[in-house]
Amino acid sequence: MKRSIAAGVALGAAVLLAVSACSSSKKSSGGNSGSNGGGGSPVTLKFVGADYGTGPQNSSQKYWEQIAADFKAANPNITVQVQTINWNDFDNKVKTMVQNKDYPDVMEGDYFPDYAQTGLLYPAKDVTSPSTFSNLLSVFAKLNTYNGTQYGMPFTTSSRTLFYNKKLFQQAGITAAPQTWNDVQADAAKIKALGKVGFGLPLGSEEAQAEGLLWFLGNGGGYQSDSGDWTIDSQQNVEALQFMSGMVKAGDTEPNPGTKNRTDLWKNFAQGDIGMINGSPALIPIIQQGGKLQASDYTSVPIPGKSGPLDKTLGVCDNVSVFKTDPKKQDAIKKFLDFFYQDKYQIQFDKEYDLLPATNSAVQSMSSDPTFGPFLKALPNSVQYPNDPIWSTVKTQIQQQLGLAMTQDPQKILSNIQQTAKKGS
Amino acid sequence: MTDTEAVTRADVPPKSPRRVRRGSPWRRVGRAVSPLLWLGPAIVLIGVVVLWPVFVMFKTSFQRFTPNGFYLGPAGWRNFKDLFDEPDLNSVLIRTVVWVVVVVGVTMTLSLGLAQLFNQRFPGRRVTRWALIAPWAASVLMTAFIFRWALDPNYGVVNVILHDLGLVKTFGSNQADWLGRPDSAFVWMMIVAIFVSLPFSTYALLAGLQTIPHELYEAARVDGASSWRTYRSITLPLLRPSFLVALLINVINVFNSFPIIWGMTRGGPGFETATSTVFMYQLKQAFIGESAAMSVLNFGLVIVVVLVFLKVTRWKDQVS
Repeated sequence: MKRSIAAGVALGAAVLLAVSACSSSKKSSGGNSGSNGGGGSPVTLKFVGADYGTGPQNSSQKYWEQIAADFKAANPNITVQVQTINWNDFDNKVKTMVQNKDYPDVMEGDYFPDYAQTGLLYPAKDVTSPSTFSNLLSVFAKLNTYNGTQYGMPFTTSSRTLFYNKKLFQQAGITAAPQTWNDVQADAAKIKALGKVGFGLPLGSEEAQAEGLLWFLGNGGGYQSDSGDWTIDSQQNVEALQFMSGMVKAGDTEPNPGTKNRTDLWKNFAQGDIGMINGSPALIPIIQQGGKLQASDYTSVPIPGKSGPLDKTLGVCDNVSVFKTDPKKQDAIKKFLDFFYQDKYQIQFDKEYDLLPATNSAVQSMSSDPTFGPFLKALPNSVQYPNDPIWSTVKTQIQQQLGLAMTQDPQKILSNIQQTAKKGS
Repeated sequence: MTDTEAVTRADVPPKSPRRVRRGSPWRRVGRAVSPLLWLGPAIVLIGVVVLWPVFVMFKTSFQRFTPNGFYLGPAGWRNFKDLFDEPDLNSVLIRTVVWVVVVVGVTMTLSLGLAQLFNQRFPGRRVTRWALIAPWAASVLMTAFIFRWALDPNYGVVNVILHDLGLVKTFGSNQADWLGRPDSAFVWMMIVAIFVSLPFSTYALLAGLQTIPHELYEAARVDGASSWRTYRSITLPLLRPSFLVALLINVINVFNSFPIIWGMTRGGPGFETATSTVFMYQLKQAFIGESAAMSVLNFGLVIVVVLVFLKVTRWKDQVS
C-alpha cells in the first residue's frame, strides 16, 4: 500500500514535470508561431509587474490576471502570462532577468533608463496608439526620455507628503503641524517622551533614495542640478544628512534607520507607534488595514523643509516599459497596452492601492475626489528622479549606503556615490 | 548482473580463430568504452554543473559588462583592481573568517555533546532524533525569516520574552533592535547558522559513535578507566574520521552560507554584516565583472582552506 502511494507520488511528480515542460515549450513556440506571420496565429506575452498589495488578498497578481482574462476574451489569440514581484525584490529580480537575457515583453514597475540606452526597449510611440500615447501625463515624459525619445510610460503615480498621528500630537501637547526641520525635531522629541517613535526614517535598502531626496529638497539640494550635473555630494545634501543623523543620535527616530524599510515603518505608523513619517497615498490602505487609527486620527501636510514647507515634492511614477523581444509581437503588445490604459483599469488600480492615475482622462475623472484631489494638485509641480542611464547603478548604491551616513561621515559616503555617478555608464 | 556476466564471458579465450578476427576488435573497444557508460553521466554532470560554471566565472572576471549584462570588452585585471580598492573588502574578509571559525567551532563542540546524548538509551530517543532533523530539513531561508520576525524590535517573540524577564526595558528601543546594530545582528546570525548546522554534524558524529566496537568500552571498564579517560582515549580517537568529514563539510557550507545573512539583514547596513559570499551578491547588482572577481577570490579561498585542512589533518591516513 505504502509502495503504491510512493509510486503515485512519483508518477504525479513526473506528470507535473512533463506538464511544466510542455507549458514552457509552449511559451517559446508561441513566439515562433507568431513569426509564421498570420495575424490570427496565437501569441503569448510575458508580463512582469510589481506587486502593490499588502497581502495575498489584494495582490496585483489578481488585478493583472483579471486584465489578462478580459483581454483574452476580446483577443482570443493573445495570451498574457502574468508574473508579479514584491517591491522589496523587484529591482533585484528584474536586474537578474535582464542580465540573463530573460526579458519580459511588458514590464510595469521601476523604469531603468539604461535599458533604453542599450536599445532594449521600444519607443513608447511604437507600442501605443496615438490616442493612448497623448493621454499619458506629460509631467513624467522627461523622466522617461532618453536622447529625445520617450521609452517609459507612466502607469501609476504618487506624490509624497508628511503624515502625522494627531492623537499622539495631542497627547504630547503639540498644537500645530510641523513646518520646519526644527519643528519636526522638537515635535519628535515630545512624542519620544510618550514612549513612541517620534519620526519614522526609512533609510534601508528598500527606498533610501526617496527618503534621502525628500530631506535634500528641504535644504535646496537634490541629486542633479537643473542643468543635469550630478550634485549628490553638495553641501546642502551633506547638511541635510547631518541634521538627520543629529535626530537619530538624539533618539528622535527609530533606532538604526539604515536597516529599516518603508514597508515595515508604514505598518508601525498604522499601529500608532510612530508620530510622523513621510508617506504617499499608498499609506492610507495600510492604516485602514491596521485598524488602530481612525480617519480623524491622522492627517497629511506638505513636507517640512529646513526653513519652511516644501513648495514642490517628490513625484514618483512607476512605468511601463516594453522590451524588444520578438518583432512579431509588436502588434499584440500595442493592443495590450491600449487595452490596459483604459480609464476603467486606471481607476480600478488607483482605488485598490490608493495611488494616483497616470493618464489625463483618469486624472480628470478623479480630480474632485477628496482623498486624491490634493495629491493630484501637487503632481504637476513635482520633482523627479534623474533620467540618466547611470541612475539605476547610483540608486543601488544609495540604497545600500545612504543609511551609513547616520553613523559615519556623510561627506565621505556622498562623495563615494557621486564618484560612481560621474563615472557615467 | 547480466553485464558482469557478459564481461566475464568476454574474458574467456575464444574457441575458433575466425571469431577472434571478427569479434575481438569490437569487443576490445566495447571493453574500453563500457566503463564510460557508467561514469559518463557523472562526468557530464560534473562538467556541466561544476567545471563549466567555474570556467565562466573566471572568464567573466576578466570582462567588462554594463549593469544589464551587456558585454563591453575585455577588462584585464581591472575588475580585480577595483575589488581590492573597495574600502570594505578587508572588513568583509575578516568578518568571513570570524563567521566560519565561530560557527563551525561552536557547532562541532555542541555536536560532540549532542551525539553522545543521542547515543544513550532513553525513553523518547526516537522522537528526539527525528526532532533534531527539523532545523536541517526546513528551508534555511524560512528559518532566517522566522528568526528575523522573532527579533522584531516591536513585536518579536524574543523581545516579548526578554521584556517579560525584565531584560529588555522598552520595545522598539535600540536595545531591542537586535538586527539593527551590526555587531548584535552578526551574533544572532551566527546563532542561526549554528542552529541549522547542528543536525548534520550531530548525525555524522552519531554514525561515527555507533561504529566504535562495544568491546573496547568493556575492556576499558575492566581496566578501571574513568569515563573521561575512556572518552579521551577511545571515543575521540576512533571518532576522528567522522569528525573530520563533518568538520570539512561544515567549513565549506558555512563559508558559502548565503540565505541566513540575506534573509536577516541583507548584509546591511551598508556592507557591515556581509560575509564574502553576500558581498559578492551585493556587488553583482551593479558591477558584474567585479562581482565575478569576488567569486574567483571566494573560490580561491575555499580551495586554499580545503588544501590546508587536508594537509594538516593528514586526511589520507585518517579517512581513507
